[in-house]
Amino acid sequence: MIKHILTLIWNKKRSNFLLFLEIFLAFIVLFSVLTLVTYNLRNYSTPIGFDTEDVWVAYLEIDESVDSLTNIDMKRRIKQELNAFPEINGVGYSNSCVPFNDSNNAFGHRENGFRLFSFVIEADVDYPEVMDVNVVEGRTFNESDAYAKHTAVLITQGLRDQYFGDREVVDSIYLMDNDEPWKIVGVIDAYKYHGDFSDENRVMLKYEPQLESRFFSALIELNGAVGPEFEEKVNKAIAGVINRSDFVIKHLKTERELTSREYWVPIIALFSICGFLILNIALGLFGVLWYNINKRRPEVGLRRAIGATKYSISSQFILEILFVTFIGLLVGLFFAAQLPILKLVDIENINYYYAMGGAMGIIITVVLICSFYPSQQAARIHPALALHED
Amino acid sequence: MISLQNINKVYRTKTIETLALNEINLEVSEGEFLSIMGPSGCGKSTLLNIIGLIDEPSSGNITIANQTVNGYNSKDMAHFRNEKLGFIFQSFHLINDLSVIDNVELPLLYRKSVSASERRRLAEEALLKVGLKNRMSHFPAQLSGGQKQRVAIARAIVGKPNIILADEPTGNLDSAMGNEIMNILLQLNQEEKTTIVMVTHDESMARKTNRLVRLFDGAQVS
Repeated sequence: MIKHILTLIWNKKRSNFLLFLEIFLAFIVLFSVLTLVTYNLRNYSTPIGFDTEDVWVAYLEIDESVDSLTNIDMKRRIKQELNAFPEINGVGYSNSCVPFNDSNNAFGHRENGFRLFSFVIEADVDYPEVMDVNVVEGRTFNESDAYAKHTAVLITQGLRDQYFGDREVVDSIYLMDNDEPWKIVGVIDAYKYHGDFSDENRVMLKYEPQLESRFFSALIELNGAVGPEFEEKVNKAIAGVINRSDFVIKHLKTERELTSREYWVPIIALFSICGFLILNIALGLFGVLWYNINKRRPEVGLRRAIGATKYSISSQFILEILFVTFIGLLVGLFFAAQLPILKLVDIENINYYYAMGGAMGIIITVVLICSFYPSQQAARIHPALALHED
Repeated sequence: MISLQNINKVYRTKTIETLALNEINLEVSEGEFLSIMGPSGCGKSTLLNIIGLIDEPSSGNITIANQTVNGYNSKDMAHFRNEKLGFIFQSFHLINDLSVIDNVELPLLYRKSVSASERRRLAEEALLKVGLKNRMSHFPAQLSGGQKQRVAIARAIVGKPNIILADEPTGNLDSAMGNEIMNILLQLNQEEKTTIVMVTHDESMARKTNRLVRLFDGAQVS
């Protein structure tokens, strides 16, 4: 029967071509969208690596005219005053690379036996604790790092996996910025400071012992939820130290949500477009099958007369459409497979495989649903009536 | 071979009831060539459809090839048609998207016991009998009306049925082609002892058969 159906499909190749084309194009569109969605959702499913609940960031706007010592003293005083509030757990400083603000600071060095590249966040000793990073190997910064010979850094697991594999990394030293030797003191699980959907996993937290002028941001960890009146108190405390009030305090949780929304909106839009596409394919298929079956009523009548059961008729129509679908999917898979084979886009191959499986699953499900009812109707055609109509 | 007892067929709609067959009693012997004649709408094709188990009587008993087929379910009837009956239609009912040989093989596709090579052999044999072996890779659109009907005959005999049911097999053909088809049917009847029941409008064709049954308004008149 399978050979017979293949013969029938081949002999009707012209009328099947449009159906094949529809399946092929639908697969390509679905595959593209699902690759993008899979990629983003897989990134989203990995831990962000730090806490955003009840963490604020104050973008300090200290006058550039202020000398270095005063600058350092201001930051020390801010920390002291904020830590005096019982509502505050801790305060840490970092450079301008604050989570979700799109700032980047990257370093690389070629003379480590390989090219080491990483995004770098300069942070003070309290920063890892304030951000509640998860140390999976080694330790976090401590006061002794201020007097150490080498600059202490924490690296992410992603960076470790990319460059170091199974090698021991804690306490190892590598050259980075201006041939300065940096010592890895610990590994943290992640630090997706561009947001939940970010795929960047090569990040270092570099310890800066001095509250120097490169620290533009104070990260404030709260004990729990507080009201706007407490934000006003914090605002006044900082303003009292830096003698200006045009700085901004942002809530990391809100920033995280806003950043994620930039990804969710296109994902939902793409899903909506895909839903519309699938609906169109379904309606188109349903219409084509319905038309074909009505056109082939005499053939159904004949087949029933010469011995086909109702089941043979319905399965023949379902198999015919499934074979055309499989041909469309096979050609689609051939083109889709070029992406992981040729590495045309720098994303993990697993994203393509999920997308291929998803697109095939959706199309086959839609085809099966759309072909089921018309094929059942075909099986119900009364042979005597159908043969009489011709 | 075929025994019909008190066959009635009534078509009912919400407003009207039409008696298509009225108390038909008919016996057809093995190897007999029976023709059924009557004016249009008298129930000839309905009777043939009932004998061919593609329509059911409203009442009455049917025995074919010593089997009482009343009460057969749809699947049993499909298997019975496939094994015991061959059909020939006025409008040939060939599948245009299949070659001649594929059309002829069609009934054997629904017999699980027949292998692909055996199907091909039997189809070639059937085409040889109707003189169309040289046309087996052609498509129906490339054939004349007479050739199409010969293909339909080959399809009807490929499964070696006991009975052939022919519904106006010469109706769409000119007299020369009609005679050619009739000769093939006669040959099948005489040489292979196939029982044939043929509906026809053509008195001259009917005269060539063993027996003629006439219907009028659903009733058997002779």
